[in-house]
Amino acid sequence: MKNIFVVFKREYLTRVKNKTFIIMTFLAPLLMVGFYAATIYIATETGEDNRTKTVYLTDYNPSLMLSHNPPANYVFLPAPSSEDSAIADVKSGAVFGWLKVEDRDTRAIDSATYYTSETPSLVEMEGLKEWIKGKANKHQFAKMGLRESQIDSAQASCDILTKEVSNSGDVQESSSTLKSGIGFALAFMIYIFIFVYGSMVMRSAMEEKTNRIVEVIVSSVKPFHLMMGKILGVAAVGLTQFVAWILLAVGLVMGISAMFLNSGGGMTTQQAVQKGIEARTGMATVGAMGGEGAQVATAGSEGARDLAAEFTEPLSNLPYFEIIGVFLLFFVGGYLLYSSIFAAIGSAVNQESDVQQFMMPVTLPLVFGFVIAQTVALKAPHGAMAKLFSMIPLTSPIVMVVRAPFGVPLSELALSFGLLVLMFVLMVWLSSRIYRIGILSYGKKPTWKDLWKWLR
Amino acid sequence: MSSVIEAIDVCKTFGEQRVSKNISLKVAEGSIYGLLGPNGAGKTTLIRMLSTITQPDSGEIRFRGEALKEIHAHQMGYMPEERGLYKKMTVAEQLLFFAELRGLSTRDAQAAVKHWLKRLDMMDWARKKVEEISKGMAQKVQFVSCVLHNPKLLILDEPFSGFDPVNADLIKDLILELKNGGTSVIFSTHRMDNVESLCDHLAIIHQGEKVLDGSVSEIRRNHFTGMFDVGYHGEVDWLDAKVKPVSVEHHSDGKVMYRFQTDQDFGPTDLLSVAMAKGGLVHYSEHIPSIHEIFVNTVSKGGTPIAL
Repeated sequence: MKNIFVVFKREYLTRVKNKTFIIMTFLAPLLMVGFYAATIYIATETGEDNRTKTVYLTDYNPSLMLSHNPPANYVFLPAPSSEDSAIADVKSGAVFGWLKVEDRDTRAIDSATYYTSETPSLVEMEGLKEWIKGKANKHQFAKMGLRESQIDSAQASCDILTKEVSNSGDVQESSSTLKSGIGFALAFMIYIFIFVYGSMVMRSAMEEKTNRIVEVIVSSVKPFHLMMGKILGVAAVGLTQFVAWILLAVGLVMGISAMFLNSGGGMTTQQAVQKGIEARTGMATVGAMGGEGAQVATAGSEGARDLAAEFTEPLSNLPYFEIIGVFLLFFVGGYLLYSSIFAAIGSAVNQESDVQQFMMPVTLPLVFGFVIAQTVALKAPHGAMAKLFSMIPLTSPIVMVVRAPFGVPLSELALSFGLLVLMFVLMVWLSSRIYRIGILSYGKKPTWKDLWKWLR
Repeated sequence: MSSVIEAIDVCKTFGEQRVSKNISLKVAEGSIYGLLGPNGAGKTTLIRMLSTITQPDSGEIRFRGEALKEIHAHQMGYMPEERGLYKKMTVAEQLLFFAELRGLSTRDAQAAVKHWLKRLDMMDWARKKVEEISKGMAQKVQFVSCVLHNPKLLILDEPFSGFDPVNADLIKDLILELKNGGTSVIFSTHRMDNVESLCDHLAIIHQGEKVLDGSVSEIRRNHFTGMFDVGYHGEVDWLDAKVKPVSVEHHSDGKVMYRFQTDQDFGPTDLLSVAMAKGGLVHYSEHIPSIHEIFVNTVSKGGTPIAL
């Protein structure tokens, strides 16, 4: 057992003392923030089509008043009387397109045609559709004798407050959005951690094999101890990095807020946050273009002001103990399970290029689990599919963590974790059998058949 | 004499291939034992079993009288034929790691590392990473890494392959020094000349079987061929001599070597006087049979292992 510690110490210290590790620990959060900032910037600032489009408009239903208040970035011109010359102008580029609305019935507009020389984007089509629909709606309301101001004031909005009733009869405010967010974030962390540090274990095993150090080592350490020391050492490196990031994040947030509050710049951050949310709301309501779009966006930013207030209560009502407990248990279980497989792969191959054939089947369940987490588990955390995949050991570390904030019965947790541990023990045992032989097998590229032979 | 390690009827099979066939051997405490055999003879498999890396399918290995267990690895040093070091670690860190793996406490390990680095004048290199030092230097580190814990038994698989001549000599000296300090040494090689100068005892392994086993002096006596090599600068005319050379070899530096068969009627001293009479004699030595010759000789005598 002492040797596990000696190996652990080496794996841990050589990595943590490495300059790349130190640099990446500080740089990675910045890169990550920069990456997201850039994506949001690109999506909001430059992602939209800002060209002003001159479009012919043929409107067989003048009561719709389509030519009034065209959508943002659109200029409507009356279409020439001849259909051929309209199409010719579109073709020559004299106008961007030709929008022809033939319906006279304003309840359902289903014969609108849009001629363009370039295929319009989904966003553009959706925008035009919403705009026409809005016009038709207004016309219908007007026919009923409602004025525009009355129509606006008649627009209802709706928010549902979720209150959970626990077994003991307590009623608590909760938030599905918040729970989904937390569950997904934790699942994402596990997913990334297993990938990054699992492959680190693999490369470490491979390095020892290709550098031919391993034979010296196994003459004094049991291969199993070497493998476990390696897996645990790399895990400790990952945890160190996580802790460093958390401290860094807390420090940054505290530092920044202190700086802004002191200089009276608190408004700036608040505005920045609002702007971000506005931008996202803008993206979500694809159809909100023109005057109506601006209104929706304003409403969104008003909602954002309540965002903090809305989440405060549910945040304090979250089952923290359960979430953290499930996260830690499944995090450790999942990592140990996968990294032992990665270690076996690393021991079997002779060079990096041989890795691919073995990686694929191993990463597949992991990726699958993540997809399930994104789709099924978030939409129906208590559904049959979510339950099933939170039981299967290869996907449970990710899927169960998504379900955890929504409250999972203890019996299910126990069963799932039991299965995970069982699978982990089995996998470590199998992996160590492959590892034991793999590290001393040089020469030809191993096949699945070889691995099977080593297992027996 | 008590044995440091003893193998009794050891067998090992990989798939269909029987790599060790009922091998028995006994290494006396404080001796140097050579394992000879052509490549693929099963030396490495045997050595891996002796150094606890793999277990025999059947048979028994005893370390100082006890059945071999993994804990005994702490009293062994092992240098495999295929060897390497962690490139990103410094020399001192690396040696410390190996010493701790062999059961030394951190404090003892540090002392041992210091001792050996001083002994080989390598203190200046302690903080260098392995990827920054020369290959010869790395070879020394490699050797030191398996003797740091002052092992009772040192097992070396082809210790002289891959080492430059200067380091090979250094290692020979270190092996003898360790022997004088009470360490027993087993090493494998496919070259007879290393055995001559180092070994007390040797065994020949061929196709997984031990075909010959004995002390070096015994084996030499048993395999005395009576052949002698005589060398001159330039060719020599043997037409008028009492004996004729059995073979001639021209060296690139112009030296010509003649091999003679001596016997009871015409002994080594007779040959020497004949050779001297020719003038310009630059070389005279008994022809040491190569492992191949001894091996062929052994097998042709009966085909089965011959106890000496």
